[in-house]
Amino acid sequence: MTRLFVLFAVLLAFALPAQAQRLISGVSNDTVQITSSFDGERLTFFGTIAPEAGSTSTTVEGPFQVVIVVLGPTQNRVAREKTNNFGIWLNTDQVEFQRFPSYFHVLSNKRLLEISDIATLNANFILPESYAMAPNPAGFMKTLNFGRELIRLMSEDGLFGVQETGVQFMSDTFYTAQLTLPSSAPPGPYIAQTYLFKDGALIARKSEGFAVRKIDFERFLAQSSTQYPLLYGIACVILALFTGWLGGVIFKR
Amino acid sequence: MQIYLPIAELSVNLFFLVGIGGAVGFLSGLFGVGGGFLLTPLLIFSGVPTAVAVASVTGQVVAASTSGALSHYRRGGIDLHLAMYLVLSGVLGAFGGVAAFSLLQDAGQLDLVISLGFLILLGSVGVLMLQESVRALLKHRQGIVVRERLPNQHSWIHGLPWRVRFKKSRLYISVLPVLGIGLFIGFVGSLLGIGGGFIMVPALVYLLRVPGNVVIGTSLAQVVAMMSATTILHAVQSQSVDILLAFCLMVGGVAGAQFGAAAGKNLRGEQLRGLLALLILAVAIRFGLSLVLTPADPFSMAVTSVAR
Repeated sequence: MTRLFVLFAVLLAFALPAQAQRLISGVSNDTVQITSSFDGERLTFFGTIAPEAGSTSTTVEGPFQVVIVVLGPTQNRVAREKTNNFGIWLNTDQVEFQRFPSYFHVLSNKRLLEISDIATLNANFILPESYAMAPNPAGFMKTLNFGRELIRLMSEDGLFGVQETGVQFMSDTFYTAQLTLPSSAPPGPYIAQTYLFKDGALIARKSEGFAVRKIDFERFLAQSSTQYPLLYGIACVILALFTGWLGGVIFKR
Repeated sequence: MQIYLPIAELSVNLFFLVGIGGAVGFLSGLFGVGGGFLLTPLLIFSGVPTAVAVASVTGQVVAASTSGALSHYRRGGIDLHLAMYLVLSGVLGAFGGVAAFSLLQDAGQLDLVISLGFLILLGSVGVLMLQESVRALLKHRQGIVVRERLPNQHSWIHGLPWRVRFKKSRLYISVLPVLGIGLFIGFVGSLLGIGGGFIMVPALVYLLRVPGNVVIGTSLAQVVAMMSATTILHAVQSQSVDILLAFCLMVGGVAGAQFGAAAGKNLRGEQLRGLLALLILAVAIRFGLSLVLTPADPFSMAVTSVAR
């Protein structure tokens, strides 16, 4: 038994250096600034696969698969279902999802199911449906159904998506990926998690952060509306009264 | 040209916003109503979240009614004493409306109540107005002079206690119906994002018998004051007033209203009322259909809280 364990340890010791790759990755923007003309922004992710630091080998053995998951700030979201009651369609059933990603996009260089098995993909929250399987007091099947509908609705708004040709390998080890963030992408901290797969196994991962932020006037307005709501409301009214009065003056002459 | 709305958190075409503001402003100038009952549904149907649409349109209604109220004030067409009672009870009603708004939003029934509210309110007002204007048009064609009911005719309303003398309106009536009208319009207006001018005017004319020369001015003054209060309440309570959205709508609305008012001079009163009634009915039917027809998508989503 002990011998077997030693053998296993030795094997492991030999196996690891042979497989030891590290991922060096980056993202083109560390902030995405929302201005009055903000209409979405294009981000570029890039990276290279290199031998582990201190390793004697100078090359790495592919082929590799890269999956990039871009996650927006979490929100509590609710999915509701309308049913027909007494001839009127109204919301009757709902499931609330705590800490649901407000933005989720997966980029990969190959079909996800060809890269790895469902269990691995789900465990790492790489598939959109992973979020529909998260524990929820509503129960598994109901959560799954409503979660899928929520993901579909968010996909229609461009907030969820899977691009299985989103990552391009420029050489055996160098990849790039492009993602256009829509204008409806909510502001907040974002995480881009890059997963490196080889032969279906996850061998390395790395994450980058970037922020989507309102700046200047938009930031001022959004902050005022939450921090000084009373003053903000009064300012709206003064603006309205002034605009109305000015309109009367200009057009009367 | 796209413009990013900081509270709604989406970008919309600027010309679209100014355009619908202008179109609705034209109609509101033509008919002498605030136009909220058209603008709120238009925004909802074009993708703006319901809460932001309702809250921001209240700001637009203030701007749209201000220039009209000012010109009536200069001409002495406002019964300030009567307006004060309507505003005080209206603000009280608006408190209730904004509170109900938040409760319904949390319960996921805001859209339903807004649809039902528009359907019932616009439907009944539209039918009544259409009846009245068709009758007036027919009589006009037969050459019968329509005599307005005499202001000293009495109804049950005049038997109520707490009577107050409104000098400008030459009325000596109970304050109870006045407060009731203000309360109702404040509640409904803040819940649906409408000024309520199209309910206020008939209420003043038919229920209180306010003379014609101060009806429109008093109604406009009430709308300005009450919707100002509602805007502030929405800004504090739901924080969904988008000032940039409201401003784009205001610019279009204020300009459009002037052209509408000029165009309205070429039409007779009963024709105008008939057209307005048709417009109101069309919006009511649109809401009615959205309740009855099978929705394209039975599922919907909402953000219940944002991690800030």
